[in-house]
Amino acid sequence: MKAPPLDYVRPATVAEALAYLKQGGDGAMVLAGGQSLGPMLNLRLARPTLLVDISRLAELTRTATVNGTLAIGSAVIHADIEDGKAPDPCHGLLTETAATIAYRAVRNRGTIGGSLSHADPVGDWCPVLMALGASVVAASNAGERTIAVADFVEGVLTTSLRPGEIVTEIRIPRLAATARWGRYKICRKPGKFADAIAVVVMDTAAVQSRVAVAMPNHRPVLLPQAAVHLLALKGADRDGLAAFRNAARAELAALGASDALQLHILSAAAMRAAADALNRKRPQP
Amino acid sequence: MASQGIGASVLRNEDDRFLRGRGQYVADIALPGTLNAAFLRSPIAHARIKSITIPDDLKGRIFTAADMTGVGPIVGISSLPGFRVSEYPVLATRKVRFVGEPIAVALAPERAEAEDMIERIAVEFDPLPAAVECLDARKSGAPLVHEQWPDNVVHQAEFKLGPFDEMVKKAALKVTRQFRISRQAVMPMESRAALAHYDTRQDELVVYASHQTPHLLATGLAKFLGMSQRQVRVISPDVGGGFGLKIFVEAEALVAAALAMRLRRPIRWIEDNLEHLTADANCREHRHTLTAYADNQGKFLAFDLDVVVDGGAYSIYPWTSCVEAAQCAGILTAAYDLPSIHAKLATVATNKPPICVYRGVARPGVCFSGELIVDAVARAIGREPYQVRIDNMVRPEQMPYSTITNKLYDSGDYPESVRQAAKLADVAAIRARQRRGETDGTLIGVGFASYTEQTAHGTSVLSKWGVELVPGYEMATVRMTSDGDLVIEVGIHSHGQGMETTLAQIANEVLGIDPKRVKVKFGDTAMSPYSTGTYASRSIVMAGGAVATACRTLAKRIAVIGAHLLQAKADDVRIENAQVIGPKGQVDFSALGRAWYLHPEDLPPVVDRGGLTVTEGYRPNPDSGTFSYATHAAVVSVDPDLGTVKLIEYFVVEDCGQRVNPMVVEGQVLGGTVQGIGTALYEEALYGPNGEALTGTLADYMIPGATEVPDIKLAHMTTPSPWTEFGIKGVGEGGAIAPPAAIANAVNDALRVRGVEIAETPITPRRILAALAAAGEL
Amino acid sequence: MKVTLTLNGRPIETDVEARKSLADFIREREGLTGTHITCEQGVCGACTILVDGRPVRSCIALAVTADRRDVRTIEGFDDDPVMAIVRRCFSECHALQCGYCTPGMLVTARDIVTRLPNADRARIRLELSGNLCRCTGYLGIINAIEKAAFEIRARRP
Repeated sequence: MKAPPLDYVRPATVAEALAYLKQGGDGAMVLAGGQSLGPMLNLRLARPTLLVDISRLAELTRTATVNGTLAIGSAVIHADIEDGKAPDPCHGLLTETAATIAYRAVRNRGTIGGSLSHADPVGDWCPVLMALGASVVAASNAGERTIAVADFVEGVLTTSLRPGEIVTEIRIPRLAATARWGRYKICRKPGKFADAIAVVVMDTAAVQSRVAVAMPNHRPVLLPQAAVHLLALKGADRDGLAAFRNAARAELAALGASDALQLHILSAAAMRAAADALNRKRPQP
Repeated sequence: MASQGIGASVLRNEDDRFLRGRGQYVADIALPGTLNAAFLRSPIAHARIKSITIPDDLKGRIFTAADMTGVGPIVGISSLPGFRVSEYPVLATRKVRFVGEPIAVALAPERAEAEDMIERIAVEFDPLPAAVECLDARKSGAPLVHEQWPDNVVHQAEFKLGPFDEMVKKAALKVTRQFRISRQAVMPMESRAALAHYDTRQDELVVYASHQTPHLLATGLAKFLGMSQRQVRVISPDVGGGFGLKIFVEAEALVAAALAMRLRRPIRWIEDNLEHLTADANCREHRHTLTAYADNQGKFLAFDLDVVVDGGAYSIYPWTSCVEAAQCAGILTAAYDLPSIHAKLATVATNKPPICVYRGVARPGVCFSGELIVDAVARAIGREPYQVRIDNMVRPEQMPYSTITNKLYDSGDYPESVRQAAKLADVAAIRARQRRGETDGTLIGVGFASYTEQTAHGTSVLSKWGVELVPGYEMATVRMTSDGDLVIEVGIHSHGQGMETTLAQIANEVLGIDPKRVKVKFGDTAMSPYSTGTYASRSIVMAGGAVATACRTLAKRIAVIGAHLLQAKADDVRIENAQVIGPKGQVDFSALGRAWYLHPEDLPPVVDRGGLTVTEGYRPNPDSGTFSYATHAAVVSVDPDLGTVKLIEYFVVEDCGQRVNPMVVEGQVLGGTVQGIGTALYEEALYGPNGEALTGTLADYMIPGATEVPDIKLAHMTTPSPWTEFGIKGVGEGGAIAPPAAIANAVNDALRVRGVEIAETPITPRRILAALAAAGEL
Repeated sequence: MKVTLTLNGRPIETDVEARKSLADFIREREGLTGTHITCEQGVCGACTILVDGRPVRSCIALAVTADRRDVRTIEGFDDDPVMAIVRRCFSECHALQCGYCTPGMLVTARDIVTRLPNADRARIRLELSGNLCRCTGYLGIINAIEKAAFEIRARRP
């Protein structure tokens, strides 16, 4: 299980990286943390002719808060988010999510941008960022564009990134003080690909709620119809949650991607994420 | 007892090098000029090979079967009636019979380059239908794995023992179930490895191999290379786990050896994880139909077992693929005083990798079906399963007890192990908790499983298996050095079992020498007496007995020399703490070493010519095996909405006779138990409908990690064996035998209120949810 | 390609093939065979070493990415006082059998006791979940880390 022959460059700026990508054409691939690409290289499932290492670019590892929105560099490693080195404007949802990604050794290299761009259907970041209404900034020689995460991940292992584009930043809006979040990951053991991830972000006062579900064989999805049910719930009321679950199951079934047992599991995750949100104490201001 | 001898939890001699990363495994050995091998392996489970095309620039660096005349084929033979012989070519000839079968090998200074090379080989296949599920492969009309056979049955046998028909007639109760145990990969942390080179000075082939049975490997290499035994040396250095995988003569080692001799360069093959999980010898795939006949109190009258074992495409050497199924009748009575059995056993060939003999060999499968049927019987009559076990078990006063299958149990108190396990699990409290129900909707259950394990069985047993592997007297050479330390050479191999320490403890028991002054050597066939090696939980009994015997002989010689140095009579001295102590003084072993090696003029006039080197052979008497046993108890919490199983508590009450090093024994029991948890809940080597390997990485093939393991609690009983040195019994495999049954019984106990029973491994959430759905409970 | 790094305190400047993994580089080019390879997917942890003080998977890291970094393998902890405590606790708690997973286990264990000195058994298990062992059943390892953490805490003023 040794990687195929390849070339490697480590540009000093994003502009240089973009130039290398253009030069390398189809055979050029971005290398960030390498925690998804490395295993694929060893299995020869990926055969880049040129790896462009962006992991050390200062432009991609800084964080800033602009008008309450966190702008986090795409090459920030999960461990730094886990350790609170990046500010978390989402009441701990970001730090908790980062902490459950694979293992610490993987989190010490893997990056939020790399994970999102790899678009594993049960990657940890995507459903969270979708539920938060986050977006990515993609840069190319032609300039920059901002893409909602919900639109960014288009399918299993596919994103709307165009050739020659790099994700440079993820923008995560601050969660309102009145908002609550819940998360439930069904995973047989840490580091294993999850069977289901559900994330609920709701703000009854603002009449806003989002439910995001990730599953093994489909891109992660938002469930807007099921999300509406949550706003009517006062607490983790059993019947209300059951109704929410049924709504989630129906909305997932309409995707046509899951059998009955998987719908059962996905809707269970959604319900438990909702219960988690409803039971979670709001942080004191 | 000495504080560092039998029964002491002495810290291990071998730890230091491992803790500093200074162990030496095959892949750590660097020989100048080594070429690394990469094998082109079949991507298809069953096909004729139409052509193999090697690019011109790679000729001379890529080899196929055409280059391997005179090498192999590997033929594992059993003399059991009806056994069908398969020829396992070292590189595929006209056909491939499993995904992963080696077809060609490329050599390059770097493994990466060799992998580049095999991608350039073009193979044309003529696909054939594949026999994948063993029950289907057994049916007439199934694709034939070996076209010269009339069907795919490698071996089958039928036994009826005891008054079976009579027992069936009078039985008030008949309970039948079908069971499936998944195919598994052994998955030691170090995969297989071989480094071959020709030593021109010694005029011998030297093969470094990650192996549990170095002498057997040497025997097999010589055999299949057409060499004399004296021309082959095998060195098994540090080995990163074996568990019954590293016990066969591997095609890759033969190819490496042949090419090393032909090219006069060292050839190295390090199996990678993809190769191991997809193409390597797998194990454990059983299909059982088991019927228990009992009276209306739950007293067993007869067991009727139909077992099919998936043997894979070829028999390995020397074990063959039939050794797993062929044992199932003999072990069917387990710990029970069972009057009769009927068993139909079959090993069926399939287009999957050959099977090996993973920890427990047949026992995990038979324990699974047997112990689940015990619980089914108990439920049918409304009694506690652990009570039904106690009522049926062989009682201590019946020891030694001969089963109807001719196994002679030497000692043990099986019912007491159940009583203790039930007490530890606090069954009454669990029943009360079940009646109350859990507020979070989960279901609690408790399950038991008991087993007996034949260990250290010798000539009288293995000679009946009909394979080219029969242990005789186990040998040990014990030598005192000129400065009074001890070197022990044994033919077994320690790869985690701590024998660099436990054998030193035995030397301590006899001679009083500090185990730190004892060097235990093994693994190099040039420097160790012949032995069939480490398997079947034999090593501490056999090698330990040999070491004890040799040390006692050495002690006599030490006494003679020591007495002379002390100017006393040999009868008036004793040996203690590595000294010879006489009426008027004492002398250290180093003085004896000095006398024998450096100043023989100081020796007594009459002295054994063998001096301070003793080689002795040992076998227990009788050598039909010594039986360890245990009862495991699992307490689980099942989430009926997610299908997940959580191990809340796990207890093991085990008895392996006199423990040499309790710490080492606990490590073996815990390690085995966790492998059993893997079988119970996580491990499944999946093959698609055309025999394609689906679980090729550790991302897919799950083995337990630290989060999957509860704080397992161990309790020990000690009923020494009357037939072994110090009453010790083997223990290495036992932990892995019971967990699938104990956990399945606990899950079924929890799901009883939902009318669901699970009868297959691994018990995944999907299987539980599917069973609940089928019962209308989802 | 040229790569410059510090390996167990020793500066190295050398050429390496771009595709060579850091694990293979350490083992084959530098002869430091204490770092072991099992899964080559980053799952099992046998290859875990420290890069700039952080545990990483050397099997899926390219050697070129270690350029200008400080790399420490199991051999580099011979004289480390924290590792000495961890090693002794491993031996006392029988936290190793065949030794193959042990170097990676020790690097992770040392990270746990230094980064999370108050980790309870559940947390220790979670932090260990990326280091697989097939021999010990993990309890000895968990006990060893718990013991080492306790000893290290006890020594703090």
